[in-house]
Amino acid sequence: MRIKVNRNKCTGCRLCLQICAIEHFQEINPKKAALRIEAKFPDPGRFRPYVCTQCGKCAEVCPEEAIQENENGAYIVDKEKCTNCGECVQACPVGVVFQHPDLDYVIICDFCMECIGVCNTSALVPWEKAPKTLTKEV
Amino acid sequence: MKREGGMVIYLKAGSELRNRLNPDVDYYTRRVVTQPGKTIREILVDLGINPGLVAFGYTRGRLVRLDHVPKDGEIITLKPPVSGG
Amino acid sequence: MANGLAGTTLRIDLRNGEIKRFPTDESLYRNWHGGRGIIAKILYDEVPRDADPLGEENILILNAGIMSGSFIPAGSKVSFGSISPLTNGHGDSNMGGHLGPMLKFAGYDMVIFEGISPHPVYLYIDNEKVELRDASKYWGMKSLECEARLKKDLGEDFEIATIGPAGENGVLFSCITHDFGRQAGRTGQGAVMGSKKLKAIAIRGNRSLHVHDLKGLRKQVKGIIERTKVHPNMEPWQKYGTSFFMRWSNDNAVLPAYNFRTTYYPDVDKIDGDQLVEKCLITHKACFGCWMNCGKYTKAVIPGKPEVHLEGPEYETGSTCGSNLGMKDINHVAYINWLVDELGMDSMSSGGVIAFAMECFERGLITEKDLEGHTLKWGSVDDVEHFLDMVVNKRGIGEWFAQGTKRAAEKIGRGSEKFAMQVKGQELSGYDGRWAPGMLLSYMTADIGAHHNRSWTITVDIAEGREKVEGRAKIVVYLQHIRPLFDTWCICRLFWGELDITHEELVESLNYITGWGVSVEETLRISEKIWNLNRCHYIERNRANGRFFDYPPARSWEDKIPDGPGKGKGLTKEQIEKMLDEYYDARGWDRQGNPTREVLEDLGIGYAADNLEKLGFLGKPIPGGIPPVRGEKYKPKAF
Repeated sequence: MRIKVNRNKCTGCRLCLQICAIEHFQEINPKKAALRIEAKFPDPGRFRPYVCTQCGKCAEVCPEEAIQENENGAYIVDKEKCTNCGECVQACPVGVVFQHPDLDYVIICDFCMECIGVCNTSALVPWEKAPKTLTKEV
Repeated sequence: MKREGGMVIYLKAGSELRNRLNPDVDYYTRRVVTQPGKTIREILVDLGINPGLVAFGYTRGRLVRLDHVPKDGEIITLKPPVSGG
Repeated sequence: MANGLAGTTLRIDLRNGEIKRFPTDESLYRNWHGGRGIIAKILYDEVPRDADPLGEENILILNAGIMSGSFIPAGSKVSFGSISPLTNGHGDSNMGGHLGPMLKFAGYDMVIFEGISPHPVYLYIDNEKVELRDASKYWGMKSLECEARLKKDLGEDFEIATIGPAGENGVLFSCITHDFGRQAGRTGQGAVMGSKKLKAIAIRGNRSLHVHDLKGLRKQVKGIIERTKVHPNMEPWQKYGTSFFMRWSNDNAVLPAYNFRTTYYPDVDKIDGDQLVEKCLITHKACFGCWMNCGKYTKAVIPGKPEVHLEGPEYETGSTCGSNLGMKDINHVAYINWLVDELGMDSMSSGGVIAFAMECFERGLITEKDLEGHTLKWGSVDDVEHFLDMVVNKRGIGEWFAQGTKRAAEKIGRGSEKFAMQVKGQELSGYDGRWAPGMLLSYMTADIGAHHNRSWTITVDIAEGREKVEGRAKIVVYLQHIRPLFDTWCICRLFWGELDITHEELVESLNYITGWGVSVEETLRISEKIWNLNRCHYIERNRANGRFFDYPPARSWEDKIPDGPGKGKGLTKEQIEKMLDEYYDARGWDRQGNPTREVLEDLGIGYAADNLEKLGFLGKPIPGGIPPVRGEKYKPKAF
């Protein structure tokens, strides 16, 4: 299961960022989220969410083999093994691997789908039959 | 479902307007038996609701004025005026 | 801190660039709730009563309240406050977008600016790094242009607030702009910011905000999300924002047209919500944490002019800069909206000033010669553009209008005061109160001049009788307590007003955030306390009985509505006096509109009574005593 982005429906409310951090860190902090919202104003005047595409590049480049794919296709970070070197941050083609000064490991989406639960405009929706081999966001 | 030349529509409202609508289908919705050809405004008056308390109707994703004539079975949201601002 | 507060307050002396950090005083928030409330307290305590609002002694405060950024629905707001150069009293204006939450995520609850910088600066905050940086290369830029440039220079993830040339030049109704189209519009906060040579505020933060009970808050908010997803009002809101309101306003004779001369605008269909969504919409736009996304990011396309992008026009701008100016094309209204946003002027006051000037032109009180060879005709975008250029740059008579309609009318004279549509120096927002007595009373008695965010009663007026003035006062008082609460909490009141989130639920949220165990009644008392303190402050600064300032412009009772559904309607002066009497009685003030010692001491601000007494303006004791509870929640009669 992946997350489909209907980018023209995003209104920039950032609820997805809030719930992601609340779910994973029990904190209110949009900078600890595993997705990002790009705002391009005044021209063209649009928001665009970027979410993990499960391409696996992060796992490929990790020198510690700290990132492993689980049975749902999500790439899970082993917090003990991760050295926070940032190779995966550089490698991610969508820019959705994050580091934060509070943490000594990286943040990667685990597809808990909480963001979909709070998105009221269908900018983020479940994508059951997403192709596996896509490396760039649709 | 028609009744003796009448027709049925569904009106939905929230906030203060909902109290005046007296929903009977679900929390927001009232089933109304009315005559074809009546406007929303006339239907509101029949129900004892001051049309001035309704800003517009909203049906099938579009805004309609109070002179809109509903079709049989139509579901219309009654949108109250903004509470200022 | 696990109470919704970030933990640090900044006090910045712009004279010497000194930046002091203090632990945020939680008791101040407990007693005044933040936002507008703390602004009221600080201004009252610290600004000398004869301080020039554009002078060194005025203080500019940025406060993110108690609930902004805390996952609460629409917890997005931030308040700016200072002594208003328009009204010469407490001034505050709140703004949506993302600035308030970002201030908190950077670690700060409030920034207090003192003094005047010797040269243009902007405030730079990046977590613990707080600097006043040279703004000389940004000074002179338009608001939206400056925001775009700062984002390019500093980083797209900075949240930026700017003033435009209007604020730099001291146009009294200047605003502060943020997020490419949100404003702290009313009361001239942009002029104060400009007087301090403060061009912009840029904030970035990645810290966590901690609340008392996140689990409880999350469960409550998730429930609200589910409930409001199916609320009948949600979809129309998301699609149209407030712009849908134009037609209703016209049909019900409250839409201002041609400088509030009439309330009937046959061309309303050319400038309403349908037109906006059909012709201009680029994207729906939301504030932080809000899924109503009432913002409409649009484009204005006019042959011969460049395409411009803006947020709006929402109802207030659509009415005050649309029907009020005789505009007949939604693109023209949007263009004017963009103009005032870029120049950095409050759209409501701008509409009021332009409309006043248009009527002056129509009557021959100002001429083409005064306007550098241009006309100022109803419905002309080009005329408006030239006029605004004169105003922003204070050229010729533009200098008069740059001070607002009240002062412009004093200069023009010849009876123009009658149709300078303002109260206490601030222009009316988008409602004509001649056939809505509660609305007129709301405008007359608002602490910040004619603004509706304190109290809005038009549906009450319609339901209870539009020509009846009795019984409105207590409802206005109640609304003046509950509505401004949202400006102290720094959240948007539209969720409460439109999606049936109750006051009780919001107090529950407040307690999940703070752990204070506050009651609904306590929040109303705090709001009433703030209201009374602002009233005392106004009287102390303006040295006259409060009643003197509470009258609407004479058009409100001398001119009946001339046409349309409200034809012939209007109040008499006697009815206006009656409403004021009833209002003061409901407030526990004397008939001169002065708060009494009894009510001030009941609210815990007896010191304000001492100050009023020294000046000779303390309210005389009321025979029979003050009402035990001031204000009455509106309960509609059953049909």
